[in-house]
Amino acid sequence: MSQGNSQSSNVKTTGHVWDGDLQELNNPLPAWWLWAFYVTIIFSVVYWVAYPAWPLGKGFTTGIATITYKNDKGVEKTTHWNTRALLMKDLQDARESQKKYFDMVAATPYEEIARNPELSNFVASAGKVLFADNCAACHMSGGQGKMAFAPNLTDDDWIYGGTHDKIQASITLGRHGMMPAKGGADINEGEIESLANYVLSLSGETMDAVKAKAGDELFHGKGNCIACHGADAMGNKDIGAVNLTDKIWLWADVPAQDSADKKVAVVKAVITSGLNKGVMPAWNSRLSADQIKLLTVYVHDVLGGGSKK
Amino acid sequence: MASVAIGSGEQYNYDIVRKFTIMALIWGAVGMLVGVTIASQLAWPYLNFDIPYITFGRLRPVHTGAVIFGFGGSALFATSYYIVQRTCQARLISDGMASFTFWGWQAIIVLAALGDVMGYSQGREYAEMEWPVDLLITVVWVAYAIVYIGTIMKRKEPHIYVANWFYLAFILATALLHIFNNLAIPFSMTQSYPLFAGAQDAMTQWWYGHNAVGFFLTAAFLGMMYYFVPKQAGRPIYSYRLSIVHFWALIFMYMWAGSHHLHWTAIPDWTSTLAATFSIMLLMPSWGGMINGIMTMSGAWDKLRTDPIMRFLIVALSFYGMSTFEGPMMSLKDVNALSHYTDWTVGHVHSGALGWVAMISFGAIYHMIPRLWDTKMHSTKLINVHFWLATIGTLMYITAMWISGIMQGLMWRAYDDFGNLQYSFAESVAAMHPYYAMRALGGAVFLTGMLLMLYNCFMTIRQAKSMPAGGLAASAA
Repeated sequence: MSQGNSQSSNVKTTGHVWDGDLQELNNPLPAWWLWAFYVTIIFSVVYWVAYPAWPLGKGFTTGIATITYKNDKGVEKTTHWNTRALLMKDLQDARESQKKYFDMVAATPYEEIARNPELSNFVASAGKVLFADNCAACHMSGGQGKMAFAPNLTDDDWIYGGTHDKIQASITLGRHGMMPAKGGADINEGEIESLANYVLSLSGETMDAVKAKAGDELFHGKGNCIACHGADAMGNKDIGAVNLTDKIWLWADVPAQDSADKKVAVVKAVITSGLNKGVMPAWNSRLSADQIKLLTVYVHDVLGGGSKK
Repeated sequence: MASVAIGSGEQYNYDIVRKFTIMALIWGAVGMLVGVTIASQLAWPYLNFDIPYITFGRLRPVHTGAVIFGFGGSALFATSYYIVQRTCQARLISDGMASFTFWGWQAIIVLAALGDVMGYSQGREYAEMEWPVDLLITVVWVAYAIVYIGTIMKRKEPHIYVANWFYLAFILATALLHIFNNLAIPFSMTQSYPLFAGAQDAMTQWWYGHNAVGFFLTAAFLGMMYYFVPKQAGRPIYSYRLSIVHFWALIFMYMWAGSHHLHWTAIPDWTSTLAATFSIMLLMPSWGGMINGIMTMSGAWDKLRTDPIMRFLIVALSFYGMSTFEGPMMSLKDVNALSHYTDWTVGHVHSGALGWVAMISFGAIYHMIPRLWDTKMHSTKLINVHFWLATIGTLMYITAMWISGIMQGLMWRAYDDFGNLQYSFAESVAAMHPYYAMRALGGAVFLTGMLLMLYNCFMTIRQAKSMPAGGLAASAA
């Protein structure tokens, strides 16, 4: 085979031939390659001197790099470089840089936070992250909620109340909504149909007048719906019984239905099976009181759904 | 070029090489199709269709299994059986055992994919297969080792060709990795508990995962390179000395580096440091193979203009050089703090997988097919088209992932004036969308090339079979 190569014409092969024509020249190692290899070794040795590197009995070489941080008790400690201390230091630096604002949030009454431009900017910034990391999974990123899953936090309708105190209570201890099947009453299929017609008519839907009238009687009588939803069907925020007179729906997806029959069907389904799925977890084990207060202001004032009553 | 008894069924066992070659092509097409599917699911999630069996989480290991073990594995079986016979001038010691490795390996790929879609998984990346499949892998691999080593032992050449060292290292290391990473206590036919727990378990897994990259996807494909580059170029290997030094350095260094996959997690800090430094020291040993391959071209550079197979091999070496530079950089703790968990890692893997592993295999298969079936390729033009599709697809893919990966890393660590995170995770996901679409498109371009190759090889084999006995040589004479 051809050896017409100026660069390696002086270099001999090893003298072996495989598979007819496979040969190997015996060029020396490229100098730049060898030196680059040495440089990576020197780099590694420097790295070993700086950081924890080689196991040694039950311990290891700690390296000469150090980290100074304050531990949980506020005592300043200096230790060899390690990822745990680095995390402690990072968290502590972050906490210290925000302490001023969190202290202000804690010391300022709810109504005044919204009036202080610097503080409300801080709430908007910190609340966005807290909300995205903790709340958005159910209430969605803008707090708009999700049908048949989690209520909208940006409207004026509040199941458990939309004042600062109520919102804070909801976040702190969570909520668990519950409606017994058929409202716990002994009602039949036809009666449920009537009730559904009545409930829909309360929200301004044009319904079968006869059935709605029968439903009205059941609602205030045998069905005993008023025990929770009240005689005016405006609900009861203390126990999370929803207002049935507005056009806001959470568990029955009425707005998505294009005919009166379908609307009746989705409302009937809720009455028939009841509800036991409106669960919001308690956040006091995961968020600090300061964080919960900040989130309360964020939901009430930044998302804008908060109410005064 | 002196060809020793091409097409002779007597001297060498080509039947097994043909079978593995065909399956490499088929698994390549299947695996890359699944890859494009899951890339599209990431960009357009409704493509999951709410069918559990085809959601991203289940199809992803089907993709990795089909391309690494189906395509890459079959290509390695095919080329190693081809090379070991030709460079040892010896027929495989046992046709029966070789055949067993073929049917066993194909069964493993199918069983692994079925397990993945059905939801049976050990939850170990690249080792999802449950224990019965793991046992089958062990048996097949031992048979492979016996056939391979046995053939080398009865060689008629006094020296063992360099490609065979790399394949040997690959066979031995893979056995070791597979067995230790899959130690588990079975409690049913489809489930088991791993023997190790916690950080130890994670380190075992990434010792396996990293060295699967090192020995399966690097060393073995370097073996492929060491045969097909000099063969196709018609030039001797540049430096025997370099091949020895970089071989041993590579083999020695690789085993230490696995923990760099676990930087900034609950592993001891000293393991992180060692992994980072051994990764840095791996750079030059890795590049040794690239230098040896590319310098072998000296005096034959003109072939790059005329020979698309040579282009595949050389571009493969270029991507190899690039990703083996990128890898050590990403293993430095501070770089890793940015790159970890981002698409940068995905891009890095694919610059190795598409650019290096797949391209070198394409070159090798295009080289082997005419020789295995004793004919000419159906279309050299299509090989050229495939080359450009593969190159453009790879570049689109890795560019998209570099941008999205670095963007993710920067978004996740961005703070506003109050020291709060500037972006929520969901915002970073939304920002990725155009790059995910671009990645899916790059993958589709790469897949199109693969399908062209499948067609071209199918037509080549069909035309060979329609020729009179004795093949091209006889018909031309």
